[in-house]
Amino acid sequence: MNIVVCCKAVPGLVTDLKIGTDGKAIQYHGQLLAINECDEYALEEALALKRSAGGQITAISMGNIKALDILYYALAKGADKAVRVDCESQDPRVSSTVITAALRKLDFDLVLTGTQSRDTLGGQVGIAAANLLGIPFAYAVVDVEARENHTVKVRKELGGGRYAEVELMLPALLCVQTGIQPLTFVPPARRIRARQQPVASFSLADLGLRSEQLTPRGYRFVDVRAPERAHQVELLHGSPQEIAAALLTKIQESL
Amino acid sequence: MARDILVLVEQSEGKIESMTSQLLAIGRQLAAEMKVELVAAAIGHRMENVVETLQGSGIDRILVVDDPALALAAGEVQAHVFAEVARLIEPRLVLVGYSLIGMELTPAIASKLGMNAFTNCVNLELRDGAITVTRPLFDGTMHAHIAMEETATAVVALQKGSAPATAPSAKKAVVQSITMDVKSIPSRSRVLEITEEPKGDVDLGKAEIIVAVGRGIGDKEKMHFTAELAEALGGTLACSRPVVDVGWLPRERQVGASGKSVAPKVYVACGISGAIQHLTGMRDSKLIIAINKDPNAPIFQVAHIGVVGDLFEIVPALTKAAQEAQTRLKPV
Repeated sequence: MNIVVCCKAVPGLVTDLKIGTDGKAIQYHGQLLAINECDEYALEEALALKRSAGGQITAISMGNIKALDILYYALAKGADKAVRVDCESQDPRVSSTVITAALRKLDFDLVLTGTQSRDTLGGQVGIAAANLLGIPFAYAVVDVEARENHTVKVRKELGGGRYAEVELMLPALLCVQTGIQPLTFVPPARRIRARQQPVASFSLADLGLRSEQLTPRGYRFVDVRAPERAHQVELLHGSPQEIAAALLTKIQESL
Repeated sequence: MARDILVLVEQSEGKIESMTSQLLAIGRQLAAEMKVELVAAAIGHRMENVVETLQGSGIDRILVVDDPALALAAGEVQAHVFAEVARLIEPRLVLVGYSLIGMELTPAIASKLGMNAFTNCVNLELRDGAITVTRPLFDGTMHAHIAMEETATAVVALQKGSAPATAPSAKKAVVQSITMDVKSIPSRSRVLEITEEPKGDVDLGKAEIIVAVGRGIGDKEKMHFTAELAEALGGTLACSRPVVDVGWLPRERQVGASGKSVAPKVYVACGISGAIQHLTGMRDSKLIIAINKDPNAPIFQVAHIGVVGDLFEIVPALTKAAQEAQTRLKPV
């Protein structure tokens, strides 16, 4: 079974957020990019499926040259190939159009990705791409079983402790939940070696996309700032013992 | 021209999710301000109860697709049916609950309709005449306000707790039944069955005091700190998703969207940053105490009392104070 894993390179701490001049994107200073956590779980699930059903794993990420880091990381973890799509977009509609065009150039039975990225918290691109590709999809998947007849059986969360068992014909796209497989450690030597491997690159011209498909439309960011609080939190200060005494009083008053 | 507001009803076995009532409340207020109709779309099988319950929510029209094939339909089919219903009225806004089911359907519906989708929204309002959503970015540490252009349409997925439930309305909605050949909708997936998490020994729903531990605990060997606090307070130990993901506590102790929703008298969050999925499951607790070393952690947005500090200092101190208080109360 050939699997493509869509992984996003996301920043850690970000500072100096401001709205871009077109009003369509947020600009910021960010530290190094890391693989988005739920996408890393998708990669682990792909590796587990490869162990049981064979096939090749291709890791794909959309972003500038800095996204290469997470693709090397995916290769070090055990992906066979890596592809970077040279496009920076925060708009889910544009991103899903681009990733769909890239997926059309790859050979796959299954596309795996996470449920959402920690930067934009949108959770849209996977399912939207599945819809554009016309393939079946499932969100919040916690278990995948490859079957003989070119299908997968998955367990997906419905919330509140309920699940659905769903059978999907391949090719299909799954957004997997964190915790689907344990995260594995990558020895530094493998990470260094992975940097020698080639990473293919698709430009937007390679994908045959027109500029109007790449233009966000219909909205503008008004502002971005620290959230308003539902109610002001009362912060306690002092020594641990003083804080503990104050907390205990509050707890006793509430019972 | 697209005008009206369409609310997609989330229901299972004839019971409407509480999320939907909140969507209706927001939709009703917005429809009044925009002077447009509030329309609800309900799809499923044996929908009499659903339609009955929707009456009194201030809806103008209820569009119903009632078909046996929708009793256990895959995401592909549900998205197709909702999109077809939406096409009938060409809404300005489609409101969906930001639930796990809503998140499977929202991108597919928006993609089919060629609309933008704004997910994970904490607010939807008219601001200076523009439809404006508020949604989190960067792990919830920032909120962005996004204004829609004057004629733009969108699907908006709203978080639970975004609005109070509605007061009843005397308005009687027009019910419109839509016939659709659901069985012949092309689909390459099918739902085999719905299952429930087996009941464990822990009933978080009944706990009066919950001590919840998050990723900030950092190490399985340190889990005893929070377990001891739970015991000293006579409470129940719970956790956020990452703790279950790494196998430090069983799934039955997980609070949040995919686990249990709780509203105890006291909720002590230790080392929990406060991902939206977690906040959804505990924000209704009467007293929320958050202990976290990061002052920007979103948990402080819902906490009543906060301690910015090292949980390995605060938690043992609180455990000791609770134990001493217990001893004092015991008859000699």
